[in-house]
Formats: sequence, structure tokens, C-alpha cells
Amino acid sequence: MGFGEKGQPSKRMRPSSKVVLPICNSCVLSLSLILIEEFVPCVRIFQEEYRYSIADDDDAPFGEEAEDAYRDGEGKKDFSSLELKPDHTNRPLWACADGRIFLETFSPLYKQAYDFLIAIAEPVCRPESMHEYNLTPHSLYAAVSVGLETETIVAVLNKLSKTKLPKEMIDFIHASTSNYGKVKLVLKKNRYFVESPFPEVLKKLLRDEVMSRARIAFEANGADGFTIGKTAGEAASSHSELLNGTELAAAAEEKETHSFEIDPSQVENVKQRCLPNALNYPMMEEYDFRNDTVNPDLEVELKPHAQPRPYQEKSLSKMFGNGRARSGIIVLPCGAGKSLVGVSAACRIRKSCLCLATNAVSVDQWAFQFKLWSTIKDEQICRFTSDSKERFRGNAGVVVATYNMVAFGGKRSEESEKIIEEIRNREWGLLLMDEVHVVPAHMFRKVISLTKSHCKLGLTATLVREDERITDLNFLIGPKLYEANWLDLVKGGFIANVQCAEVWCPMTKEFFAEYLKKENSKKKQALYVMNPNKFRACEFLIRFHEQQRGDKIIVFADNLFALTEYALKLRKPMIYGATSHIERTKILQAFKTSRDVNTIFLSKVGDNSIDIPEANVIIQISSHAGSRRQEAQRLGRILRAKGKPQDRMAGGKEEYNAFFYSLVSTDTQEMYYSTKRQQFLIDQGYSFKVITSLPPPDSGADLSFYHLNEQLALLGKVLSAGDDLVGLEQLEEDADDIALYKARRYTGSMGAMSGSNGMVYMEYSTGKKSMGQAKPKPKDPSKRHYLFKKRFT
Amino acid sequence: MVNATKGLFISCDIPMAQFIINYNASLPASQKFIIRALDNTHLFVQPHAAEMIRSAISQFREQNSYEKPA
Repeated sequence: MGFGEKGQPSKRMRPSSKVVLPICNSCVLSLSLILIEEFVPCVRIFQEEYRYSIADDDDAPFGEEAEDAYRDGEGKKDFSSLELKPDHTNRPLWACADGRIFLETFSPLYKQAYDFLIAIAEPVCRPESMHEYNLTPHSLYAAVSVGLETETIVAVLNKLSKTKLPKEMIDFIHASTSNYGKVKLVLKKNRYFVESPFPEVLKKLLRDEVMSRARIAFEANGADGFTIGKTAGEAASSHSELLNGTELAAAAEEKETHSFEIDPSQVENVKQRCLPNALNYPMMEEYDFRNDTVNPDLEVELKPHAQPRPYQEKSLSKMFGNGRARSGIIVLPCGAGKSLVGVSAACRIRKSCLCLATNAVSVDQWAFQFKLWSTIKDEQICRFTSDSKERFRGNAGVVVATYNMVAFGGKRSEESEKIIEEIRNREWGLLLMDEVHVVPAHMFRKVISLTKSHCKLGLTATLVREDERITDLNFLIGPKLYEANWLDLVKGGFIANVQCAEVWCPMTKEFFAEYLKKENSKKKQALYVMNPNKFRACEFLIRFHEQQRGDKIIVFADNLFALTEYALKLRKPMIYGATSHIERTKILQAFKTSRDVNTIFLSKVGDNSIDIPEANVIIQISSHAGSRRQEAQRLGRILRAKGKPQDRMAGGKEEYNAFFYSLVSTDTQEMYYSTKRQQFLIDQGYSFKVITSLPPPDSGADLSFYHLNEQLALLGKVLSAGDDLVGLEQLEEDADDIALYKARRYTGSMGAMSGSNGMVYMEYSTGKKSMGQAKPKPKDPSKRHYLFKKRFT
Repeated sequence: MVNATKGLFISCDIPMAQFIINYNASLPASQKFIIRALDNTHLFVQPHAAEMIRSAISQFREQNSYEKPA
């Protein structure tokens, strides 16, 4: 039973073509088998089979003419009309007329070109040798918002491209950027200004009724009545080296800006009015925090030992490019030090900061990070969760809260009502949002409207959702300011080098027979998760890593039934939704410090932001359908760099120091989901190795479920468990990723439905009550039924 | 008395054998094609069933494999 086809490219390169451009998004990764010998000793005994390996043909002959680069045909584009520049070998990228850009990562100009491309285009797929990017209106919006101008974009792109820039691309850039960034919404001394270097644009805006009504008019100073100010030009960015002298001079020149003030209460309307569907001058929001004298300063600084890494520095420089703070999103892989970026931003703005995280554990972690990296005093920082309601003293401080606590619409305790009122009324210098990909979910959007903040910074590792609402972040928060390349960070030794593996476990005969039966359609998931072969593989991996390597292992299972079954059978601690905060902390603490606790089982509560730096092995036994985000977030749990830096670098002692296993039952739906889930990581340049024979055939009865009767007992257990028990765990905060289910499912027992859960139908007691107490309505004795008449005489 | 029946000998892995058996069971009696399930991995079926089984299997596998949308 081979599934060889599924990894095959849907578009094939013509081998004879002179110019070979790997189209990464369709996985044109040749199927050639490359066997890397140095994995781990044990894996040599596994049958190895590589599904993906990165195309090796980057040194393919780049022809004199690009004539037959592409062939017309289904899904293929002909770019032969593009004209190659004579010195194209020195230039790093290919720009295609449809907005796609391919970057050669082995070019000497790679670093500069990468920094530039990441600013203007959306990365599609970034394997080792060739990256694919896509120019989109949103990415260009982001480019303009970090201070790049249309002409600069075209000029630099032209300089880097091997071919003359296609006219379509230039037109597209012009069309997309002409209006972006022309107008800024600036909060100065707590007054909102609409600012623009182009007075004619402001005039045009004011012709609109909504805008003119919102304007606060002053006595005319200057001919147009606009306030004219000067702002320093964009701080010389890294792209400047690509520009020649004259262009540089133009960029560094001081710019005159014109502005008019608007009514703070009208800000929402004005912003909405400026969106592309109306006036089409999307506003950029900037916060001039240095000149903000109204909001009290927060006396914090970074501690000297907090040394931001180059990429953290770079992402911050995008945010504070011109001395003001821009709203936007910074994308860094998990474990790459997002919290330091957040803390640094807060320390630079030095105003009150509201920091939002997804759960109570990560709230604790954020509070800890603030204390670790900055000189903040204990009384200046407080946590606001359902368990701890603290308030800071003084007039400025940092509040760390969960999204749930702020967005919660129901009735609160008096204490938290007070705090929430304070959060609402305060003007925040910075709204820091962790795991920002959750925000588009309806409930979390409320947070943004509830809190008044000058500047919003979103942090995430995975800017993907299975519903298409990720683009909402563009207007909810701001454009993407920076996105790091995972493989570059791995090479730099900043994050762990992870070996990803998909372990194929064949279904046993009995389980598969049940799986196929129609009446078991609701139990399919439980059946493939509880597949005894999978259990044995899991047990084998846990033993191997615990005993041979002394690793710390996390096992993920979305399916609660499986989670409890596995954890009880293997006698390991587990954490799931219902585990209390205290118990969670206790288990995590034991996992971090104790030598005896080397494996924990987590349900999907562990996906996000539980910081377990010790763990370096993940075994995934069940997952939330085809969620790419979940896969990446889980991988993120082990990405924090481990071991000595020199060992981690390319050519170091250990090629891999972290392992990510995904156990999949073959011939089931799980195969479909697992391939889908891996897409995000594959786009980041990871490759998955397929392991087919695990546990090794000679491991007999020392692993569980060796004998048929044990397997049958397990099967019986799965089949007799209620449908509600074997389903997915639904967390309150999980409104993300409606990958599979149209309607939301809740776990509940039949008992709860029928009302036997605490809500007992106590007829006797109510009866007694009404009998004992005053009768509600003394009935007219004449109307009584004759059978009862006797009794009441 | 020895009876000879012409048929098709299928050898496959355990789950696929189960799939074929299940497929056979889902058909009405007149269309059942398995003559005898020999063991976990071997089946003896009627000769005309080959195409039918093939298409059923490929359809099943189609459901379980993911193609990245271009």
C-alpha cells in the first residue's frame, strides 16, 4: 500500500528547459532519494523513505536566453518574453509578470535581497536554495507602511532582478501603492491628526462629507489651513546600500508634512471611510511617543544582559523606523524570542502597556519575561486572570491579561469589573498581543475595540488560519512588519534544528474492519488514534528517547479518550482542559526539574504558549483535523535552541537536536490531514521523513498490545465508549480553525442533555415545598374532582 | 469430488484485505464476488471483479490523500 503519489508534484518541470525555476508552492521537490546517514543511530534500522527532498538543480545551467523557460500548458506560464540582463548572473532574483518572485539563496546578494523582499512581498515557500515570494496589495501596503516608497520599490527590484522588470509588475506596484501610506493618522499629545506630505490628498479627503465633519477647524495657518511640520526622513535603512547616491539623498531629505486635526470620537468613522472600498487612502497609524506628554512615562529600561539578536533588532527597527511607533505584526518562529521583542518594544515606548496572552500560564510567563528582561519593578506589573486579579500602583504600568478576561461579555465579579473598567478607560501606549493569529476570531476582535491604545504590536509564529480571516489582521492591527526565515534562524543556531518525521502505522486487521463499518462513522477518529500499532510505536519512541538519549518528551493528543487511555497505560502525567491551573503548574514544574518525569501528555491546551524549554521531542498521536497552524505551533514547543551553540551550527556535532514525530495510521483519513497539516512547515523549508517500520519487528511483548486479546479488549473499550467521549476536546477559547466542522460541536454527556447532571428533577421536593408552605392558590372546593373532594373536606 | 472454480487470486496487505471484504459485504448478495478469504492477506475472488475492486480502492485512497491546491 504505497501513497507515493501524494507527494508528487502537480506541475512538472520540463527537463529540457534551459532555465529551471523551482515552483515551490506546488512542491516541485524532486523525489530523488537522498539518504542522510547521520540521523540518530536508532533510525538507521528504520526503513527510510524520503518523500520530499529539496530540488538539487539550483546549479542547473542558466541559459543564454530565457526562451523556453516555461512551456505553455495546464498551469504553466510562459515568461519567455522577459529580457535577461547581460549581467544576470550577479543578480539574485527572478521577477515574473504574475507577481511572483523567485530568490536564489546562494547568491552573494541574498541577505540584502531577502531583507528587501520580505518587506515588499509575501513569502510563499522557502526551501533551502530557492525562495518563492508573491507581491500582493497587502504586502505592498506593509512595504509602504515601513517607509518604502513606490519608486524605491521599483528601483531596487529592478536592480536585483535578472530580467527587465515586466511592465505588468511595475503597473501593479504603482496601482497598489499609489494611495497607501499617503495619509497617516497620528496621535500627538492625545489629539488625532490626519497627516500627509501631499496637501492635495488632504484636500481631496476633506471634500468628503464624513471627513470634513470630523475635522476640527482652526484659524487658517498657511494657505490651505493645514498645519505644516517637518519630520525627519526615514532612518537610513538597510536597503539604502542598494540605491545609488542621488536616490539616497532624496530619501534622507527632510520632508514637509501637512496635517489637520480630527475629532477623537470620529476616529473610527474616519478610518473606515479611508478604507479601499470608500476613499481608498488607507491610513497608517503611528504613535509619536517621545512627544506624548499627556500619558505618564513608565520608568523601565532593558537590562544590560538583554541583547537582542540581529533579527530581533531588525524587526524592532521596522517598528520604530522613523522615531515613531507603528502598529503591525511581527512574525517570528516559536522559541526565537518573541517575548524579548515585545518587552523591548514596551521599553522603547515607555508608556503603560497592556499585554494580552491566550491563557493563564502564558500570562505568568509574560509577567516573568518582563521582569527578566527589563528593570520593571514588581509593583508596576500586574496580572489579570481569573485566578489573580492584581492592580498596579502608580499611574503607569504593565498589565498582563488573557484575551478571555478582557473580551468576556458576561457578568463579572465586582473586583474584576473595576479592573476592566480601568483597562477600558486608560489610554495605553502599547497594546501587545501574543499569538495574534487568534484575534480574528469573533470574540477576540472585541478586545481591540474595547481598549484604547496608541500602538498595537501583534506577535505570532504562524500567520495562517484555516478560515480565510487572516487578512482581517491588516486592518485590525496593521500590516506585517517583519517575518523571519526559519531556516536562516536554524542555520544561525538561534532555534533548534528539528528532524521532522511522519511515522506510518498500519491499522490492525480488527481495527480497520471496524473503521470501515458505516455504523462506526463517528468513531473513526477514535479508531485510528487508538490503533494498537500506533500505541506500540508511541511507546517505543518514548522508551527510546527516555532511555537512550535522556530526552524530555511531550506527547500531544487532541482526542481526550486517547489521551487518558495512553497516559494511564503508560503511567505518565497529563494535562488537558479540565486540569486546574495549580495542577498544571505542578506537573510542568516536575517535568522541568525532576529526573523521573521525562514525558508528559498534553491535549491541545498545550499547543500555544506553554513554555517548556526543556522538551526536545514531540510525539503527536492525534491532532485537530488539517490545521496547519496547530502543527506549526506544536513544533514550536521544541524550537527553543538547546545545547552548545557551536554544536548546533552547520557542521556541528549534532545535526539534529530536536525531534518531531507525527504518528499516522495509514489508509485512514489521518493520512489526508497529516499531509495538509505539514504544508505550512514544508513552506518554511522543513522536510518530513517518512518512517514505515516502527516499532521494529523484533520488539515483541515488551511493548503493550502485543497479543491479540489485548488488542481486542482495547477495541471493545473504544467501541463501547460513548460517541461524546471519543470526540474532540472543545476548549472555550478555541474559536480558531474551523477546518472541518461547519457547526461547532460541544462535548457533553447524554446525562447533561437529559438533565441528570446535577439538575435533578426533584418532583418530590417541590411537591413537599408547596405542601409545606402556603398553598399558592386555594382552589374552589366546588371545582375539585370528585375523587379528591373527600380528602379536602 | 473435486470442484474447480476459475477465479482471481489477490494478495495485498492486511488493511486492504479488510477493505475488500467490507466492500464485498456492502454489495447485494447477487453481486458478491469473494469466493473465499484465504487468510489475512490473500483473497480468492471472481475473475470479473478486478476492475471494480481497483476503482473502489483508488476512490478510497483518493479520499485519504491531500493535494495542495495550486
